[in-house]
Amino acid sequence: MSRRYDSRTTIFSPDGRLYQVEYALEAISHAGTAIGILAKDGIVLAAERKVTSKLLEQDTSAEKLYILNDNMICAVAGMTADANILIAFARETAQDYLLTYNEDIPCEQLVRRLCDLKQGYTQRGGLRPFGVSFIYAGWDPQRQFQLYLSNPSGNYGGWKATSTGANHASAQSLLKQDYKEDCSLDEACGMAVKVLSKTMDSTKLSSEKIEFATVGQTKDGKVYHRLWSADEITALLKKHDLAKDETAEEK
Amino acid sequence: MDTLVARYSRPAYQQENQFDDIEEYDYAADSVSGPSLKFAMPPVAHPSSWLRAATDDRSNPHCPIKIAHGTTTLAFRFQGGIIVATDSRATAGNWIASQTVKKVIEINSDLLGTMAGGAADCQYWLAWLGMQCRLHELRHKRRISVAAASKILANLVYQYKGMGLSMGTMCAGVTKEEGPALYYIDSDGTRLAGNLFCVGSGQTFAYGVLDAEYRYDLTVEEALELGSRSILAATHRDAYSGGFINLYHVKESGWEKHGFTDTNPVFWKTKLEKAEFSNVTSDFSEEV
Amino acid sequence: MYDAPTMEVLLGITGKDFTLIAASKAAMRGATVLKASDDKTRALNKHTLMAFSGEAGDTVQFAEYIQANAQLYSMRNEADLSPSALANFVRGELASSLRSRKPYHVNLLLGGVDPITHKSRLYWLDYLAALAPVPYAAHGYAQYYCLSILDKHHHPDISLGQGIKLLNLCTDELKRRLPIDFKGMVVKAVTKDGIIDIEFDDDKVVHAA
Repeated sequence: MSRRYDSRTTIFSPDGRLYQVEYALEAISHAGTAIGILAKDGIVLAAERKVTSKLLEQDTSAEKLYILNDNMICAVAGMTADANILIAFARETAQDYLLTYNEDIPCEQLVRRLCDLKQGYTQRGGLRPFGVSFIYAGWDPQRQFQLYLSNPSGNYGGWKATSTGANHASAQSLLKQDYKEDCSLDEACGMAVKVLSKTMDSTKLSSEKIEFATVGQTKDGKVYHRLWSADEITALLKKHDLAKDETAEEK
Repeated sequence: MDTLVARYSRPAYQQENQFDDIEEYDYAADSVSGPSLKFAMPPVAHPSSWLRAATDDRSNPHCPIKIAHGTTTLAFRFQGGIIVATDSRATAGNWIASQTVKKVIEINSDLLGTMAGGAADCQYWLAWLGMQCRLHELRHKRRISVAAASKILANLVYQYKGMGLSMGTMCAGVTKEEGPALYYIDSDGTRLAGNLFCVGSGQTFAYGVLDAEYRYDLTVEEALELGSRSILAATHRDAYSGGFINLYHVKESGWEKHGFTDTNPVFWKTKLEKAEFSNVTSDFSEEV
Repeated sequence: MYDAPTMEVLLGITGKDFTLIAASKAAMRGATVLKASDDKTRALNKHTLMAFSGEAGDTVQFAEYIQANAQLYSMRNEADLSPSALANFVRGELASSLRSRKPYHVNLLLGGVDPITHKSRLYWLDYLAALAPVPYAAHGYAQYYCLSILDKHHHPDISLGQGIKLLNLCTDELKRRLPIDFKGMVVKAVTKDGIIDIEFDDDKVVHAA
């Protein structure tokens, strides 16, 4: 049945579905989990790294978290190669806006530009959609800290806490359960590692299995974003008693 | 006379290659050309247009002789006499030739003249005017009126009209008969009596500050401050004005000098103590 | 490409919580005053106003092109551009125009109040696409007469009333010293609540000292 309708992205099936888009979403549900939590004084993004190897150069190969602009970062779930195209586009769009207006692009506008591009591949013929979902964390003067989620269809929405990738359904319900309005960035970081520890296969986490980033504000009101180092992640895991027991590993 | 006029009324642009073809000069012919031309003339066919072509930096930015033009001078009449104030910068093109020029010329102990336009023209003719004033005193046994002195100068420069003189001057003096008297004379031949004049490339800036607070019944202290502040305003905005503020007060008993003051400390004092010049700030440096 | 200053008057003054923009009312062609109630300003959005002078035809075309783009942005994004963003946008448009076959010959003042910080803003732009943020500004011959007055009498935290008094100080001087009648001023104030028309006494006669 679906054979006739899924080879072209631009053709609806009789029951009104775009199969290629759904396949793209399916691809994403196998990717590492990514979550984002909006706090009153910042945003945390955390993601599960799937490719782990002793041989992998840790600091040069961020797999899940990327800086888009001075005011925005994102987490990726899905095909990293596709994501690279979109990230390059987003970075260029943000710089173009900065050149025109000498101001950072408002977060939602950047998300929308990306989603307009994604949407195009669900309507114009011949190509497959981008197989990526993004969680965006950013700040702008109009709407302060913001968290968005977008998927291959070009849909996007603003969230207080959201997740994508493998086990995102359970992550979402955990977030719904634990989310506190007006939580601090510290609390949000704690919540993020707890949720990840439950949605990931291994019960004990390590810095090489996750990536972590925060957007926040310094005391003098300047907005910063930061991808965490392995040591910082380890310290956070230890603080919440989620670190893999190193002595156990040696045995 | 017509031949004279024709000789000196050739426009500068017809003299493009003036400097190349210096012809034999007929000194004998010059001796009959009139009593006002007692100078040694440059050995060219048309000295006045040659001079104009050589010195008019407005029509020819590459002219070989750059005359000092930029200036701010002002003078105004008020209840207590006349205030005369000037800057002290001399420029030749983009070059600051001096920061310590005395642009108030003490014609004698009662009369002051100001200097704008060509520095040499002003210095020469105001010195000459001083001589005429002294001769008037000797001949008539009384001081010359400001009106008469200014008219001597105006008549003189009018004789040279079109020959390249460049002057914008003010004559200020207080006499029994006239009270405080102020005249503006320029090399076009204009001569005007008035309460308030500003002359030079910085004139508009000085006018701005001066007009806004000028009253005839200003106290001496207020008048001196306003004169000085108006020069400061012009030195701040006009690149061709600067250096020192030269300030004079003319009274019936003669003129009185009120300093030759560096503008730089005065500017910072004015800015910091009175919070003026609010556009001089680093507040905007982060923007744009 | 230097251009002699014009008799058109543009003035801008910022204060504590407002920006004043004033433009002369005379529309002149050669030796003729075609209109004595010309408004040389355009509102770009609720809190940004632009005043313009320069080549006939270019001025209104350029201003309305900018106005249309500012409004398009507001409609697309459900948010207005800030005065700063608009100033930089206008600068960019002027800069690309400058190197085109037929450059716009327009000088501008762009004033407003930032909708988020509520800070007053004023930008000076010339047809060569130079942009400067300033506390007060003028274009044309008015620069020569008014900037020294503003140097002396302006303070960054003046009230709107004080701002209008300061503007009067400037227009009085222009009436005194400019050789032609510029037919009074259109005066508008931008505050956080929007753009207000200011009643301005154009009939006051000023005598030179």
